[in-house]
Amino acid sequence: MWRTFVYSISLLLFLNCCLIQVHAQDTIPIPLKIKVGLELAGPVTYYSDKNILNEEGYISVDLNEKRSVLFAAGYLNFKYTQYNYTYLNKGSFIRIGMDFNLLKPDKSLGKYWAGIGLRYGLSRFNSEVPSFQKTDYWGTTSSSISHRTNWGHFVEVSPGARAEIFNHFSIGWSLSLRMLLYSGTGKDLRPVYFPGFGNGTKTFSTGMSYFIVWNIPYKKINAILKKEVKEDTEDNSNTGTSGTNSTTVTSGNRQ
Amino acid sequence: MRKFIPESLLIILPGVLLFMLSCTSGSCFEETESYLKASFYDNVKKILHAPDSLTLYGLNNDSMIYNKSSGIQPALIPLNSSTESCKFIIEINGITDTIEFHYSSYPHLISKECGYTFYHQLDTAPKHTYHNIKDIYTGNKTITNLNVENIRIFY
Repeated sequence: MWRTFVYSISLLLFLNCCLIQVHAQDTIPIPLKIKVGLELAGPVTYYSDKNILNEEGYISVDLNEKRSVLFAAGYLNFKYTQYNYTYLNKGSFIRIGMDFNLLKPDKSLGKYWAGIGLRYGLSRFNSEVPSFQKTDYWGTTSSSISHRTNWGHFVEVSPGARAEIFNHFSIGWSLSLRMLLYSGTGKDLRPVYFPGFGNGTKTFSTGMSYFIVWNIPYKKINAILKKEVKEDTEDNSNTGTSGTNSTTVTSGNRQ
Repeated sequence: MRKFIPESLLIILPGVLLFMLSCTSGSCFEETESYLKASFYDNVKKILHAPDSLTLYGLNNDSMIYNKSSGIQPALIPLNSSTESCKFIIEINGITDTIEFHYSSYPHLISKECGYTFYHQLDTAPKHTYHNIKDIYTGNKTITNLNVENIRIFY
């Protein structure tokens, strides 16, 4: 079911982008937006697995047609039970960073986004091991690790895609590739899982998020399109026409 | 070519994601026991020398760790996590000695899949009898699940 969901969303985004019709022009109006997003995969996952509740939302502000700044915040309530231990982690996290749209303005039209995000993450969490058992030559030893509060730091690269499917509403997905900077726990009691990062026993973690986004336009800019002569001029000389110019886009923008 | 890149991103990345999601492992493949690693040395030549016969068991524990085993190098000695000391009966080439360890234990997370084990820190040099064992040298006092020598037994 999970894979079907991933495939369906991605296919929808791809088809939307394919349907864009763009005409060559000198400038193109691009609306800059404030975007409020809500992560969907966490609550959906919680319905099938009550041991992990992850909720996350973000606010993003477009600086121009390419870049936007992002602030995200979330909450995690995690319980993990293995054959010989139980682990609890509860806490919150923030991410701050920037998104870069790799689509040209004549493709994105302010509605479509496919690009990459760079983020720094900070997590504050309370962890506890209510019980664990170790069986060896001397028998079984039972112990526990009491409640402790720690701060974790990480950085994240987040490629993804979003598309506006209804007026002012987008959906999208993003992959998260995270690198742990500091878990705050020391090497012996690394967090099994902590908010915003995931598996804290490893230096790198991955994740996937699905978002529904409310877009609030606050400003309109004109992205300049720069005309460029097509490299293949053979057709021009044969036909004698001069109308085969293609367009590329500069990163400039003007009100 | 430049027009191709963004659209290809939308196609390729979900495939990569599906691949990564399908590769999640849930099994424990790491060493979960923290043994004290004891190497045997010839007291005259001061070189590594495995006993021809080694018998080892914990005091007040009927279960044998080694029973007249040959070629053991190093011996893996399990310390008791629920006590601060433990004593072992060790028989090297038919001659019996005792070794007593004093230590502190603390939990260590091996991995999410393997869970927790106990590491130990030797507080003092091991005490032993001198029937066959001539000396014990303590190297690394931290006893972990890694393959690192902790003591050298000269006999």
